Amino acid sequence: MAWWKRSAPEPAPATRPPSPQAGEAGDVFDDAFLARLELLQVVARRLFRGRQRAERKTRKVGSGLEFADHREYSPGDDIRNLDWNVLMRLGQSLIRLYEEDEDLPIRVAIDVSASMQTSGGGKLRYAQQIAAALSYVGLANLDRVGLTCMSRKVHTSLPAVRGKGRIFRVFEFLRQAPRGGATDLRAACSRLAAESVQPGLTIVLSDFYDMDGAFDGLNLLRFRKHEPIAIQVLDPVEVHPETSGLRGDVSLLDCEGGEPRDVTLSPATLRAYAEAHERFCQTLASNCRARGIPYFRAEIDQPFDALVLRMFRLGGLLR
Amino acid sequence: MNLAGWTLAELLPLFAGGSLAITAMYLLRMRRRQLQVPFAALWRQVTRESDTRKLWRKLRRVLSWLLQIALLALLCLALGDPRPESWLREPSTLAIVIDRSASMAGAAGDASPGDPTATRPSRLDLARLRARAELLALGPVDRALVIAAGNEVSVPGPLSRDPEPLLRGLDGLAAQPGEADLTRALALARSALAGQPGARILVLTDGALDDAGAAALAACTAVPEDMPEGAAAPVPGDLPEETSAVRCQVAGFPGPTDSVAITAFAARRYPEDREHIEVLAEVWNLGDVAVEVVLDVAADGLSVGRLPLSLGPGERRTEVLRDLDAARTRLVAQLSPGPGSTAAALGPDRDDRAFAIVPPLRPFRVVLLTDGTDLFLEAALLTLQDHIQLTGIGPAQVAGNPALAEADLVVIDLGAAPLPSPLPPGDLVIFDPARLPDSPSPVQGAGELARPFLTEQALGHPLLDGVVFKDVNLARGTRLAAEPGDQVLVRSLGEPIALLRRQTGQDDASGARTIVAFGFDPRQTDLPLRTAFPNLVANLVTFFEQSRPGFVASVAVGAARPLAVAELGLVAEGLGAVEVAGPEPEDLALTDALPIARVPVDRGIFRLRAREPGIYRVRALDGPNAGAEVLLAVNQASAAASDLHDRLADLALPPAAVAGEPPTPLPVGEGPLWTLILLAVVALVTLEWATYHRRVTV
Repeated sequence: MAWWKRSAPEPAPATRPPSPQAGEAGDVFDDAFLARLELLQVVARRLFRGRQRAERKTRKVGSGLEFADHREYSPGDDIRNLDWNVLMRLGQSLIRLYEEDEDLPIRVAIDVSASMQTSGGGKLRYAQQIAAALSYVGLANLDRVGLTCMSRKVHTSLPAVRGKGRIFRVFEFLRQAPRGGATDLRAACSRLAAESVQPGLTIVLSDFYDMDGAFDGLNLLRFRKHEPIAIQVLDPVEVHPETSGLRGDVSLLDCEGGEPRDVTLSPATLRAYAEAHERFCQTLASNCRARGIPYFRAEIDQPFDALVLRMFRLGGLLR
Repeated sequence: MNLAGWTLAELLPLFAGGSLAITAMYLLRMRRRQLQVPFAALWRQVTRESDTRKLWRKLRRVLSWLLQIALLALLCLALGDPRPESWLREPSTLAIVIDRSASMAGAAGDASPGDPTATRPSRLDLARLRARAELLALGPVDRALVIAAGNEVSVPGPLSRDPEPLLRGLDGLAAQPGEADLTRALALARSALAGQPGARILVLTDGALDDAGAAALAACTAVPEDMPEGAAAPVPGDLPEETSAVRCQVAGFPGPTDSVAITAFAARRYPEDREHIEVLAEVWNLGDVAVEVVLDVAADGLSVGRLPLSLGPGERRTEVLRDLDAARTRLVAQLSPGPGSTAAALGPDRDDRAFAIVPPLRPFRVVLLTDGTDLFLEAALLTLQDHIQLTGIGPAQVAGNPALAEADLVVIDLGAAPLPSPLPPGDLVIFDPARLPDSPSPVQGAGELARPFLTEQALGHPLLDGVVFKDVNLARGTRLAAEPGDQVLVRSLGEPIALLRRQTGQDDASGARTIVAFGFDPRQTDLPLRTAFPNLVANLVTFFEQSRPGFVASVAVGAARPLAVAELGLVAEGLGAVEVAGPEPEDLALTDALPIARVPVDRGIFRLRAREPGIYRVRALDGPNAGAEVLLAVNQASAAASDLHDRLADLALPPAAVAGEPPTPLPVGEGPLWTLILLAVVALVTLEWATYHRRVTV
């Protein structure tokens, strides 16, 4: 209910440093959380038993053993890859291409904009828990895992690390990462794609409260050969505001800045907002599915580990 | 409308100041609460539609302002304590006297022919409606009471400002049998209104009054010549002075006058045959048209007679059913419409039914005052023991003996002994009353007769039926001094030697008695040896037995009818209280409980409070007959109560005494109006809160 907190008019929220004493990220990664991660990792191992570790086939064609395709010879190509059979039979110079086996890096991108910090920061805390869980499972599988905290004003990354013991660096990064600013997924994803030397599995944790660039950022990642996965973190109070009991004349102020808007809240208005919110989420989900981007909806009143397991089972997020 | 609280001069500045304050607050820019939301763009999309309704929002703001002004106006009005003009008039006190006599059960309205099967309201129904309208029209400072005038007067609604208990009292009113005791009801109303402001009596009646009621109503409504219009009418001189300021008005509720009633119904045993009875019924057509009726008489549920009667207007018919068996004791007569007549022609139901009981057959009490030497006489009396109760008393036991006072017949046969002085009350048979000088006997002697012969006797006299005195030898006798009115039964050579004398009482009929005197001593004749002697004794007993009244009249309904227990067959001596139960309908089982009242008996008289016709049980609670129970029939049996003719026109009431149309009830009930205004304010605030300014937040 604190989402509908009264507030005095204030300037657009600026980036502010995290405060571990504030009881947000500082309480997220306690011993109980670690215990739940261990359990999650055990369950994940049972789910993917028999698979080779770090054996993910990329789309990259290179020096592997398994034939993939032909292409025209161009000067400078390794002549050892020339298909002599075709040259002799057809007189065409074609280079044999092979699929290259290499590690698929996992990058977890967390939206740390101001809209993720409403309702006492419940959405951001929930996103951090999911990010930590996915990172732990990935590290335990010997994958390279990197993290990025992003908003319009914030963009800080943790370089990809490997090994289960690096989970505490992940925790530290999540604790210390700055937060605030407006949601701008297009710009954040563009910068993320530009920074990534090697495209990989990119998990975007956000509320996607960006009317224009919510899906564009994901599409951009896909265009840059990433395999994006969208996890929309929602607060039930935002999804169903008609249950909040709020009525009367109010001035609505966006937490990410902008002009206040005077409205009279009635049950009909709140129902209309809930329907519009649902339509927004459905549009995002359908766009993702249309382009093969896995989409998951996470409401913060659900346990995070249940969500991660659901992702394992249904989406094949972690193989 | 007047203001009983704050004056208009005080309220106007208050309203003006308050209006200015409210207006100023509305002119100030409303500061809205700010809410931080995470996705304002979506809110903008949703609320874009409401932007098109800004004009309505402005209008709503004006409506809200007007609503606040209206609330302030109502609050100021409540402070003024407004009261309608009718509430501020002088207080009045109203006594509603409702006639609940038997005639009020008759149908009301015109006697014009209509649907005979349609249910018409009774006169009492209309009177109750009028009384209800009067009560509902009372102001908050007015008071009223309701008096019901039936065969007894009651107050179903005591003096009160609250009409609710009075209305409840009206609902329970029903017509009573008998006439309305308007005399007492009006006196009670005047007494209750004594000293009250604006006192007024409203009599609601159908005008079918008896003479006493008509006189009381005329006296109540009489206006002297010098009395101004609208002033109070005077009261009879025996009322207190302060009761004189009472205005009396009458509202009439007449109706059809068709009525047929059983005005008399009784049964009696035949004097000569006490095992059989005859029943008398009197049916009276009190209406103005001829009517055909059927009279049914039932004894203990068994029909014993059915008589179709054709009665002209005002005709009264007496019918006798003869030679009925006396074994059945409870008789019920019922009138029903004959061919061509309807039930409406009979009028109210209550007088179409009457009750009677067969008088009980009690033993004839004979006391023989004897010296014990005349065994022939004793033997002759003892042979009659099957229906007489014989008691023998010697001369020494005469003084203070209660048997002598209660005896139906005293036979004095003392021979040479002197007669007791004074003689016992009641009927007497005296043998040789003037044997001794200075005899207290009322039949005096006129000289001695030596060896008289009985030469003449009154042939055909019931006392001498089967008795022949011829050749009877007498040793001596006494010539009796006959007086005018005496019947000489036997003569001796023309001189009276046996006679019958009927004595009347001194002041009333209580001392009346019959004396049979024989101027000879049976011991000094051979008459006891003859068959004529027991015949003579039997004739004497039968004669006196049949001379007693065997007819028991029914008792009329009423509040307190004095009745002698002796007339019911109970011994008055030592009886202190009786228990009266009833009325008992004919279909009531003997085991069913009846309403029981304990009634004291004072010197043989008790007051019967019988408000409904029927058969009542009277049981002696103490005395020598303790536990004995007798039946008593109670009937309306009153032509005045059954007569439905309106007598109000005959009374020539003054115009001021005729009540007009019923008043219109006040639109607003009692209680201060400002409470209603405050309730309206609360309702408006609730409405405003629910529709616009809802402030429930999280």
